[in-house]
Amino acid sequence: MAQSSDVYIVAPIEMDPTTKTIQALPSSSNPFLARELEALNNLHRTLKSVPEITNGIPPPPTSVGPKRSAQIERMRQTGNAAFKKKNYSQAVDLYTLAISMALTRPPWEPSALLREELQQLYANRAQAHIGINNWPEALADVNASIDLKRVGNPKAHWRKGKCLKEMGRYEEAKEALEFGLEFGNDAELAHMLKEVNGILSKRQ
Amino acid sequence: MVKLSIIAPLVYIVVLVGTLAVFSFLYRKRKANKAASLEPWFGPHYSRDIYLTLLHQENPKVPDSILKAALVRRATEDVRRVVTIRQAKSSLQQLLQRGSIGDDLWTRFTAAEAEIDEELKDVAMEANGFGSEWSASIFQTANEIVQATRIRERAAEVAEQAAAERAWWNEKRERASRELLGENNSDEDGVLVESSGPRGAARSGTTTQRKGKNAT
Repeated sequence: MAQSSDVYIVAPIEMDPTTKTIQALPSSSNPFLARELEALNNLHRTLKSVPEITNGIPPPPTSVGPKRSAQIERMRQTGNAAFKKKNYSQAVDLYTLAISMALTRPPWEPSALLREELQQLYANRAQAHIGINNWPEALADVNASIDLKRVGNPKAHWRKGKCLKEMGRYEEAKEALEFGLEFGNDAELAHMLKEVNGILSKRQ
Repeated sequence: MVKLSIIAPLVYIVVLVGTLAVFSFLYRKRKANKAASLEPWFGPHYSRDIYLTLLHQENPKVPDSILKAALVRRATEDVRRVVTIRQAKSSLQQLLQRGSIGDDLWTRFTAAEAEIDEELKDVAMEANGFGSEWSASIFQTANEIVQATRIRERAAEVAEQAAAERAWWNEKRERASRELLGENNSDEDGVLVESSGPRGAARSGTTTQRKGKNAT
């Protein structure tokens, strides 16, 4: 039952001597093992690709590579600028780029930072989608933003209500807005909830 | 008579102790067998097996950098397991007190708990073997990796969800326009979207201000 600490099961793996990747022996076809090996090789590659890491040990999650953060921030600002000029589809592209940049952060960096960046970027991209009436895409984005940050994110809750309302899903919009209001009162959320409630009562 | 009076109690004691010993031996063996046949709490620990296999691989020897990465992967799985154990513990205790779960389950749980403690110590020791002080940060690192993995999985769902919503929305619009066509026989395609257009634009204008105010 309890695996003793000095006993282990020999995994059917070997190292490719040239590429230094670990691979399963051809006789093994365990998908879990394969997935774990892929994760291991990816991590090894990421560790190697960061020049600051000389000893192969990931630094403690207190330090962050400043370059990537600056790049993401710049991309977000450019996106914001495009949005202000009403170049909504361009803004969508820029935010998309910033999102994919944030997602390539080394995994050992503080996850709170990644979460913060992503919730902001998804909320912004949703707003750009809303600018060109792309309700479905905007909805998917705000859902992600809200999942990443529920509290203190009234803009995302508002945008979710907006998308659902525009797609005629008033019941869902009502739920979303009420859910958003649970995390603190917000005048604009309350205003839209009133609108949605008005529509709902008129329909009945 | 004298002889017999000494032998009798001796035989009695020997038989008694012998019976008890046999009973105890059999009982313990059965109990151990039963415990061993219990299903482990967690499935196989692949990253642990991989790490130890690589560590003991001789020909060719695996470079340290890979071993370090493998140790981080092992710590990541450990963190996941510790979190699972901690989350389950209080509710399991309550269930046990109420008698809702059997002793078997509890035995499995405590065994898993002991196992993970042992495992954490082992990983910390291995980490210190690679670099002094690494054991102080390896589990922090592993925890961030677990969180980041979860965030990435959520991010991966966005595109799927957008595609599904888009398909639903397109179908709905088509249906709406078909109904309209059926009713008026006119070619007013996408009336629904058109009607929401100006409103949407007007509203997004106001939110531009919102964003402008708060954009950092």
